[in-house]
This record gives sequence, structure tokens and C-alpha cells, in this order.
Amino acid sequence: MRERLSFYIPRQSPVHRLNPLTKILITFTIIIMAFFSPWYWTAPLLIVFVIFPMSVIAKVGREFLFAAARLLPVVGFIFVMQALFLPGGRTILWQFGFLKVTLENLMAAFLVAMRIFTMVSSFILFLLTTHPSELMSDLTRRKLPSTFSYVIISTLQIIPQMQAKANTIISAQRSRGMDTQGSFTKRIGALFPLVGPLVFGSLVEVEERAIAIEARGFSSTLPKTSLHEIPDTRLDRSIRWLMLILILGTFASKLWLS
Amino acid sequence: MKIEVSNLFFSYPGGVDALQGISLSILKGEKVAVIGQNGAGKTTLVKHFNGLLLPTQGSVRVGDLDTTKTTVAKLAARVGYVFQNPDDQLFCKNVEDEVSYGPRNLGYPAEQVAALVDDALSLTELADKNETNPYDLSATWRKMVALASVISMDTPVIIFDEPTTGQDAVNVARIANVIRELHARGKTVITITHDIDFCAENFERIIALSQGKVLLDGHAREVLGQEEILATTYVDPPQLTRLGKRLGLPVVVRNPDEFLEAYQKLPTNLGDPGE
Amino acid sequence: MAVLKLHNITYQYPLTETPVLKNINLEVQEGEFLAVIGPNGAGKSTLCYTISGFVPHFYKGELNGTVEIAGVETHESSLSQWVVNAGLVFQNPFNQISGAKYTVYEEIAFGLENTGVPREEMRERVDRAMALTGITDLSERSPYSLSGGQQQRVALTSILVMEPKILVLDEPTSQMDPIGSREVLKVIKTLSERGMTVVMVEHKMEWIASFADRVIALYEGEILLEGTPEEVLTSPELAIRGFGISRYTQVARQAGPLGLWPPDQRLPITLDEAVDGFSRSQP
Repeated sequence: MRERLSFYIPRQSPVHRLNPLTKILITFTIIIMAFFSPWYWTAPLLIVFVIFPMSVIAKVGREFLFAAARLLPVVGFIFVMQALFLPGGRTILWQFGFLKVTLENLMAAFLVAMRIFTMVSSFILFLLTTHPSELMSDLTRRKLPSTFSYVIISTLQIIPQMQAKANTIISAQRSRGMDTQGSFTKRIGALFPLVGPLVFGSLVEVEERAIAIEARGFSSTLPKTSLHEIPDTRLDRSIRWLMLILILGTFASKLWLS
Repeated sequence: MKIEVSNLFFSYPGGVDALQGISLSILKGEKVAVIGQNGAGKTTLVKHFNGLLLPTQGSVRVGDLDTTKTTVAKLAARVGYVFQNPDDQLFCKNVEDEVSYGPRNLGYPAEQVAALVDDALSLTELADKNETNPYDLSATWRKMVALASVISMDTPVIIFDEPTTGQDAVNVARIANVIRELHARGKTVITITHDIDFCAENFERIIALSQGKVLLDGHAREVLGQEEILATTYVDPPQLTRLGKRLGLPVVVRNPDEFLEAYQKLPTNLGDPGE
Repeated sequence: MAVLKLHNITYQYPLTETPVLKNINLEVQEGEFLAVIGPNGAGKSTLCYTISGFVPHFYKGELNGTVEIAGVETHESSLSQWVVNAGLVFQNPFNQISGAKYTVYEEIAFGLENTGVPREEMRERVDRAMALTGITDLSERSPYSLSGGQQQRVALTSILVMEPKILVLDEPTSQMDPIGSREVLKVIKTLSERGMTVVMVEHKMEWIASFADRVIALYEGEILLEGTPEEVLTSPELAIRGFGISRYTQVARQAGPLGLWPPDQRLPITLDEAVDGFSRSQP
């Protein structure tokens, strides 16, 4: 059984070798360009000419496609909802009762869908190519409070554990005759016996875990060191400057055109 | 309420073959302990009794109900299951509400629920804590709340999953009392346990599992005497059983009284002063 | 030399009405193995927290009295300085996994990263600690994929690597299956034999009798009994207060008045002692 601990897939690639902070910045730059660029086709072009090629260079092309494919239904749903229910629009292409699809709304819906797809897929690429521990070590080294990085990284790992716990709770409450069918209000009411133990039980665990990490010097004020060395090269720095320029350029062009 | 397991096979979705052909019956009023190393299939087997798991092959019947044709909610009226960690089920703002949750789900009328709750609370010595929030209680008492919450469902069969793990001697004695009382009322009590001394002192029938199959199934005295076979599923015999064996007692003993009785009857001991 | 000194310790958790520890006075010598027994609620965990500094630094509340490890008082140092002195391992192995690391090796190094240990030294210390506790083969595994016994050994190693003066163990095997318990106790025994000072809360009398140099029985926040395992574990004071006692002790005590246990023989705690005594009483 393959132990899949996180989204991260270890490969030897130029993208993997980039410093984690560089990769975060690239991700944010892509998102900012997709959302703020005045040019309509920015988002889909980024996907086709930047994100996907990067996934190939990073040797995670196939995994990326799988993950992106899982996104499509959600994005498709958003597209349809936006297309049907946005107000306004003049050029009616299709009408059925009160539902109408206009050209303007179609284009707006496509924009929204593409922007969301860009955002999520660039995050996916980031997660596929960055080991969470390395990210956190790097951020801590750059003076991000260690508590902050701890919260993020432990949450990533805790999620599957929480899922297992939630399953146990569901079994326990079903064994007490909890109704899993029935009316909507009944089922909402049924949430409390599930959420209750999850939350309260987790509080107990959280306290113990806090003690455990304290016992390992977590709140020490000494400057932290790291087991693994995380490289930060000239290429990294150059890329980060480039990203900064792209971000500023995007905002500048938006201001200039509006 | 008889539980009938016929040629039960079960595999987890990941492909693990947890149970490999188990057939057994548990009759009304029996006190049964299921033992064996982690991974032998104890919890997997027992979760079939209330329908939490359904057979991959074979069948499980609880009374006249086939578990594959009944919902867990319906089986909950017949088989109560006390989970190992009380924090996996406690959610109400006070003990009384918590203990009422089960019987209310089963649709009993309000007066009956109240009576069942009172009874469960007094059996578990929680009567004076009925207005306390369960999470304000110590781990010891939260365990008793979990027990009470299932006892109040008044099911003919009740399953305890590792009831004594992490409990001190006082609470183990309380739990043993509860089991004794439930048995006296004619209920079938099934437990999974690693605590072999607790098992020996409170259960008449022992089923030892190993790698998804039944290794031993019989009266406690027979099973506990099979030291080598039990060792294959990493079970050590109880303390007094071991002592009895080393001293050459002719019978398998399970508790101090049995030990002393057998010890007194040893040929070299007859005629000693004392009772 | 006394490496641990508790002097007149009285402690009450915040928002509670009664003190959990009352006037505890205790000294532990270097290299000693002290076992602590007591029913739930006696204050055993609180005692462990007090020795390791979590009382008062983590739990706040009112602490009166002094705790001294190797001459330094807990009040004088912060929690993170204190943990180097007294390492704490507790019952639930799962809750001791930090969740911040993806392999056992990294998990063990976590404490050294936190306290600013240089990389070279880090690797040496982790390798050494893992060899000591016998978990070198678990190096690249995810902590979450391990069994309870393995996780507990990882927790132990993670604390050991910080090189504490005292190891404080709060019922480390109570949530384990028999195999896990055996694994963990074996490691603890090795550590003790190598000179580690250990304070361990434990229920299983047979083990205490074979490992411990001294035992204290805690009851309602006070030290009820203190002495060698033989003295404490066979004392009649235990049974009447609901302490769990060895069944060998129990049956021998019952056998005494029946003339079935030699009157001059101390009550047994272990199997061998029981066999010895019961064989002797046969003419």
C-alpha cells in the first residue's frame, strides 16, 4: 500500500528544485494575473501555456491532469450557474421559460470559471511539487512565526486522521440508533451528535498534543535550525523579482486601462 | 436473542482479508470474551453483530434478522455497542441527556426512557452526576457515561470494546459489577479485551481469534489452559492460571477462590490446618 | 546525588476548589527508578506535570513549594528550558506525534530543530537515540503508519534525543496491547540499566517489582506509602483503598489465614515469588 502522505510527489525536476518561497510566489503571481489582468483571455492562456507545461517540466504531468480532471465538474457547475442566473445581458441565445442564456452572461461565466480553475490548478501544481515540511522550514527560517507554520502543516496531516475519527464517531452514534435517513430537519439535527464529539474529542487531543510539542521545546526562543538544507539560488531570486514585476505590471495595466 | 455466524468472510476495501471463514453461535445469556492479538479480527467480527460491517461472504443473523437485510438503526434495538473511546460518542450538555439519547432513538415512550435512564445511571453509579456535563468529568467517569448510554437502550445483547483499557482497579471492579448485573438480568454480554485477568474472572466462554480464524472456542477453563496455542496469538494466560500450572494444579484456575480451592485439594495439602 | 527534589509541593488547578497535590516531599537520586502507583484521581499525572514543568508553566493554577532538578528550580526557568531537564512521555502515543513531520527521523529531530541544535550534531544525536531505543529501521516511515507500540517508542526517542536528566513516564503502556507494552517496557528497562533516572507511573505490579528501586503510593494527593517495591506493593494499606494489587499478593493474603502460605514469608508480587512460597507450604 503506497503511503500517500500529502499531495507532494517526489521527482527530480527543475521545478522541484526551486525554493518553496519562489514557488509560492509563482502561484500567487499566476492567480493575481488571472484575476486582475484586464485582458479577457489571460486565465485560459495561463492554464494552457504556463501551468500545464510547468507540470510537464516538473514530471508530474499525469498526476496533474488527474487532479485537474476532478476539478472539472465543480468548475462546470459554477459555469452553468453563472450563465443561467447572472442578471442583465442583452443578446439572448437561448430561452426556456424564465431561464435565459445571453452572450454577455456566457462570456462572464466563462471568465469566472476560468479564473477559478486557474487558481485551483496552480495551487495543485504547487502542492504536487513542494514538500510541506520544506515549505514550513523555509518560511520559519525567513522569520514566519513557527506557530503559524505548525498550524498549517499539522492541519494537513491531521485531516486524514480527523476523517478516520469522524468515521468512528458515525459508527458509534449509528450503534445508538441514530437516524441516518428521514427528513431534512431530522438530518440537520443528526449533525450535532457527529460534530459534538469531533470537536470536544479533538479539544482533548489538541491539549495533549500541545503538551507533547512543548515537551520538545516548541516555544523555545532560540533561533530554530533545520534538519534539511533548503537551497535558495540566484535563479530563485531572479524568478522572484520577475514575479514581482509581473504582479506590478498586472495592476498597472488594470489601472491604466480603467 | 441468538447470534448466528455462518461461514463469515470479510475483506476490507483495501484488500485486507480480515475474517476468513468463521462459524459460531452465541446463545441468549452467554458471557463471551473475544481475545487475540491486534489484527486478528476481533473488532471486525464483533462489528458484524450490529450491522456496522456486512459480510463479504456468509451470513450473520441476530435473532430472526439477517444483518444484510436490516439497518444498523434497527439492529441497535437488539445489540448495543460500547465503543472503546467515550470521547467518540459524548456530545450532550449533561449526563442525563446523553444517556437518554439511545433509548429516545429507539422510539421508547418518555416514561420508559426516564425509567431506563434512571436504572442505567444507578447501575453505573452516576445518579449524582446526572446534571454534569460529561466533558467536565474525569476520564474514569466519562467511561461510565459511555457504558450507561448503551445500557439504557436495554438491548438483549451488549458488546464492550476494550472496556478496561486505561482504567484503574476501582473502575475495573465497577465495570465488572455492571457486567455481572447485566448477565444476571439475562442479557448476552460480549467483550473484546486484552486484559486476560479481567477476562478470566468475568467471562465463561472465550473465543480466541488468530488471523481471521477461530483458534479456540470453549469454556474459559479449557481455553485458558492451552498456553502454547494462545501464545500464537500473543495471549499470555492469566496470572493465577500460570501459578496453578507451575504448582501442578490439576484444574485450570481463573480467580483466587478457584486457586485456593484447587490448591487445598492437592494430595500433599489434605489435612492442613485451616477451614 | 539527588537529581530531583520536590519540597512541600501543593497544587491546585485553576477554577477548582481542592488541591490535587498536598504537601508532597520527594527526593530522587541520580540513576534511580522510582515507580508511582495510585488510583485514578490520586494526582499521579499532576505529579508528572509538576516534575516536568507543565505545572505551573502550562497549566497555571496555584503551585506552592519548590521543584528542583540538578539544583535549578522550575520557577527560575521557562518551560522550554525546563523540558531539557525532565522529559515527559504520556499515555496516548497518537497524541504525541507532532503532526509537523512526515518521517520518523524528522519527527525525532523536531525537538532539536526547535532548540537550535546545529545540523551535524542533530544527525548524530538522532542516530544515537534511535539506536538506543531500537527503532532505526522505522526511520523513513510515517509516524502515522506505525502501531501503538512503535509510536510510543518514537515518542520516547523524541524525548530522549533532548538528553533530559530525568525521564518522566505517565502510564506509557496503559493504552497498548500486550505486544506494544512489551516493546516499550523493554526500551525503558534498557534506559534504566544504562543509568537514566526514571520516574514512572504504572499499574502493573509485577513489572514494578522487577524494575523499580523505590515505589511511592499516591492517594488523594498525598504520599501514602514510600519504600522498596516489596514493602509498598504488599502493604495491606493498598487493597483497602482500591489500589490494584498483584493477584499473587491477593491470593497469598487470602491463603495466609487458611494456613496455606508460610507465615514467615513475605507476600509475593511476582509469579516466581508466589511459586516459591506456595511450594514451600506443601509439607
